[in-house]
Amino acid sequence: MFVARSIAADHKDLIHDVSYDFHGRRMATCSSDQSVKVWDKTENGEWHCTASWKTHSGSVWRVTWAHPEFGQVLASCSFDRTAAVWEEIVGESNDKQRGLSHWIKRTTLVDSRTSVTDVKFAPKHMGLMLTTCSADGVVRIYEAPDVMNLSQWSLQHEISCKLSCSCISWNPSSSRAHPPMFAVGSDDNNVSCGGKVQIYEYNENTRKYSKAETLMTVTDAVHDIAFAPNLGRSFHVLAIATKDVRIFKLVPMRKESTSTGPTMFEVQIVAQFDNHNSQVWRVSWNITSTLLASSGDDGCVRLWKANYMDNWKCTGILKGDGSPLTGLSGQPTAMSTMMGSSVQTSQNAINGMSAGRYFFPPLEPPTVGTRYGHLLPPSSLIEHCEAEPVQPQPLALPHRLSSKTLLSLPEAEGQ
Amino acid sequence: MEKMSRVTTALSSNSITGRTMFCHLDAPANAISVCRDATQVVVAGRNIFKIYTLEEEQFVEKLNLRVGRKPSLNFSCADVMWHQMEENLLATAATNGAVVTWNLGKPSRNKQDQLFTEHKRTVNKVCFHPTEVYMLLSGSQDGFMKCFDLRKKESVSTFSGQSESVRDVQFSMKDYFTFAASFENGNVQLWDIRRPDRYERMFTAHTGPVFCCDWHPDDRGWLATGGRDKMVKVWDMTTNRPKEIYCVQTIASVARVKWRPEKKFHLATCSMMVDHNIYVWDVRRPFIPFATFEEHKDVTTGIVWRHQHDPHFLLSGSKDSTLYQHMFKDATRPVDKANPEGLCFGLFGDLAFAAKESLISSDTNRKPYPGGDRRYPIFFFKKPDPTEQFAHVSSALSVFETDLDSNRMDWFVKTAQLYLLSGKPFAELCDHNAKVAQELKRPQVSTTWTMLRIMFSDPANLTAPGLNHNLSKLGPMPLMNSFSIKEIGPGVGTESRLERSKGESRQDNIHLDPGNSHISNNEENEETEGSEGQAEYMFIDAELDDDDLYSMEHDNQAEEQEYTLPQEAFQLRHEIIDNPSAPEHLQQDKADSPHVSGNEAEVTCLTPIESFSLISISQPLYNPHLPASFFCPIVREMLSYYAEQGDVQMAVSVLIVLGERIRKEIDDLTQEHWYMSYIDLLQRFELWNVSNEVIKLSTCSAITCLNQASTTLHINCSNCKRPMSNKGWICDRCHQCASICAVCHHVVKGLFVWCQGCSHGGHLEHIMNWLKSSAHCPAGCGHQCEYT
Repeated sequence: MFVARSIAADHKDLIHDVSYDFHGRRMATCSSDQSVKVWDKTENGEWHCTASWKTHSGSVWRVTWAHPEFGQVLASCSFDRTAAVWEEIVGESNDKQRGLSHWIKRTTLVDSRTSVTDVKFAPKHMGLMLTTCSADGVVRIYEAPDVMNLSQWSLQHEISCKLSCSCISWNPSSSRAHPPMFAVGSDDNNVSCGGKVQIYEYNENTRKYSKAETLMTVTDAVHDIAFAPNLGRSFHVLAIATKDVRIFKLVPMRKESTSTGPTMFEVQIVAQFDNHNSQVWRVSWNITSTLLASSGDDGCVRLWKANYMDNWKCTGILKGDGSPLTGLSGQPTAMSTMMGSSVQTSQNAINGMSAGRYFFPPLEPPTVGTRYGHLLPPSSLIEHCEAEPVQPQPLALPHRLSSKTLLSLPEAEGQ
Repeated sequence: MEKMSRVTTALSSNSITGRTMFCHLDAPANAISVCRDATQVVVAGRNIFKIYTLEEEQFVEKLNLRVGRKPSLNFSCADVMWHQMEENLLATAATNGAVVTWNLGKPSRNKQDQLFTEHKRTVNKVCFHPTEVYMLLSGSQDGFMKCFDLRKKESVSTFSGQSESVRDVQFSMKDYFTFAASFENGNVQLWDIRRPDRYERMFTAHTGPVFCCDWHPDDRGWLATGGRDKMVKVWDMTTNRPKEIYCVQTIASVARVKWRPEKKFHLATCSMMVDHNIYVWDVRRPFIPFATFEEHKDVTTGIVWRHQHDPHFLLSGSKDSTLYQHMFKDATRPVDKANPEGLCFGLFGDLAFAAKESLISSDTNRKPYPGGDRRYPIFFFKKPDPTEQFAHVSSALSVFETDLDSNRMDWFVKTAQLYLLSGKPFAELCDHNAKVAQELKRPQVSTTWTMLRIMFSDPANLTAPGLNHNLSKLGPMPLMNSFSIKEIGPGVGTESRLERSKGESRQDNIHLDPGNSHISNNEENEETEGSEGQAEYMFIDAELDDDDLYSMEHDNQAEEQEYTLPQEAFQLRHEIIDNPSAPEHLQQDKADSPHVSGNEAEVTCLTPIESFSLISISQPLYNPHLPASFFCPIVREMLSYYAEQGDVQMAVSVLIVLGERIRKEIDDLTQEHWYMSYIDLLQRFELWNVSNEVIKLSTCSAITCLNQASTTLHINCSNCKRPMSNKGWICDRCHQCASICAVCHHVVKGLFVWCQGCSHGGHLEHIMNWLKSSAHCPAGCGHQCEYT
């Protein structure tokens, strides 16, 4: 199903974030080694590092791409309390020949007094806007009034979330029916502080962002948060990485034209999975929002998919180093990176569908403190449902070899 | 020396206890120092000079050394040091240039012992010799360092750095005679106390001032320096040339650096501006602090480890007028909050994943780092302790590429490219799109298109044959109700689908037959309207059931609709007659459509291109069939369903193909939303042509204006080479049409191709043909145009 292609990233410390650009042909990585690297995909599908430069004087937590309409623009945020905006310059010819590009810093946003933990560009239809959130719980929204001048950013909004923020996500919906909205997650460990995910919405009348919703059921530290691509839906889907993976559905309730307050949402928890058996660090949606990937402290990427009944289930487990997954705490080997042809996979999907079905009771908006954990079947059961027909080991072998050869030539890769 | 070290070791065995605590000072602190047995701390500042005892639970003020009604400037301290052997002896560096020693053993209130006023400017640092009781060193802003013998009234020797101000002086732990001095110009000098004339060594350690230095306590000849360039560097001084062995990048200028006792690679730093935190670094992992103390609200000015053999207690004084004792176990560990993984879905379904290597390689089959870990020198192997685990980290980056079509989004690109949205009769569009979907193995979508064709085509000409086939082929099917079909299951469903596709191909032949025969056929088969509607729906169910997962909702709808069928069908038909806005597409389709019944033929003769009256004329042709609008609610539901399943492509494509038939059923905002989403997707996949087509075909004003906004075209007239000012194509100055084809001399509408050399051009195909036979410009200007 998936073939792992190992890339010698050559970062000197942990890589904290990976980000694809709008068209999926470029990738940016950022690391604690204070650098950002940009990777370009060649014709034959290999990734080449075309730029690597020191961006901050602290760990770089996140890197994100702007919509290409604004140019080749990256934003990064760091432990050094700043966020920065970078633009690629069509370089001199000899740079081009060496396959390198040049990035220059357009601005440094220095308003935060603590580590800036996340940075995101707002959806394109809002213009060129950048949001940061910081460890002291402040969300800042900047705007570049002139999209041609990336060195001028004005601080438009400063929203205090009270809790240390760790991640932020914009609702990508471009519908006029949906006012601008973002969700902030907090990595505060104190369970008694209440909901760790807050949703803010822009109010046209007050011209301010105000809190529309707090997901009270999420009380543990949240590490990542991601709105699903909207694609014409009337509701919003939000994935949360906390001690488990959760998927929420936010259905805007019909608003009376007279009311000026924030939109009321019917909040439904759609899925909750603790299969990682550990902290979940990242969640990411595919472009059609049919597939959710999550990664946890177990070093695995798990893929989640909904069936027609909106029941989410695991459709794959990818091991980070590309090796086949060995029994995790005695669970049977599930689908791993190297396994199976597409035929088997699709078969598996059907098997999983019929066997792995489990239902949530009719969904109601969760009340304060409601826990849905008990609704889940034991995780072992879920895993078991996806158990593959025994996978032929030889199939896995060639892939592994190839990934190994890639590994052994880091220099050649890293050019 | 021997004796002393033994004493301190003995002391360390009495474990110190305590907790994180603080006390308020009266004034900001500049420096702190701790006495040898770690029970007392002295705090010095411009307006404070006090000794506190460290109790279990709190700080207790023991002595205020600032005495007298009008304290002299001698009390204004820049630095303070408690002698590490003589517990009554203190030295301070005063801001007025004085070096003062204090004897706590004095009976009087004023403990001032000696006063040296030899420096001309502020003394930045004082330092006792670690083993020699009476030797004191000072470094001053005036650029001199002085060595004092406390038994004498004045300095023993003066060292001139020949550089700028001295920021720090530190006696070496290893070498009795050596001390290091750091300067504001970035230099570090090594001196021998016996040779005041010239430094032993000098090297440039930092760009900008070096604010501090500290010798490694385990006498390894390591010197840590910190500077305004935000860096902490560790130098190996044992080699001929000082070698930088570690470099830590902090986020603010480094004001103090102190090696952590008993931890070989750890050092603590604090900054002199902006950043109020104290960081403890593992120099082997120079990017992320090992631990952070975040208690202070203002700049931390002094840090000192409470006991020289205890790594767990750190004392700090700050400009916020507090004195803290930090417990190491209470420190925040930034690395715990640091995300060890990165994950991102690519556009084409590939998944980039970066993770800490220790997470992804289980201990049993741990892979050695390719080529060995060259980055960190390996000093010793022990069983892993937390600090070792902290130091050795790296991430592995990999991209998972999917080879599963459904994930790779190829279907999306192909569908977008191959779908026909306009330019052909409705039925053909549907058939074409159904085929496209079929080829891409998306049976459900394909079926939907077929259904749409059946629902919305002119029932007399199109539905009937399909239905006939259906009835004849699947003879018993209409008699079954939908529940029985479900029981038959997917296997049968597939079969029926196969039959169906056969039927379709055959149906195309029948298609060409005169319409009347169909009608008669139809009449033969017809019983009641209700039953026919049912028949049609049965057919739909059967289709859907091959994709068994999705059928449920539709089933329900279908059933509900069935019961209300008879009345609704009549009502709606009349409404259609009244409806003035006849479906535009439908009319055009009919005008173009190959099968022409007698009535229609007349109309098309009258108005060959657009016939508004067509619908009313063709109305009599409507058999007692379900009018198209009957299906609108269902189709609307279906479109919403597709949109919510993430297939906005289908929603928009159907929306465009159906055009007016469905448009009114869906509110504008939703339509606009779908269009926007789809266009955004198309642009992601760089399908600009499709995206433009969609924009052009969209009926939402907000969408169609997308291409008109912020698009400016600057044109020069091809005759007079001046900018065209008008909106039209006639040049203001030479009054000639600017877009005349150089070959056929007609005005070009549409694609205009021109030579950038001579600015002549014309119709694309004309120019192409011309340039095949001739190398020169067709306008006769003599330019050698080239078409590439």
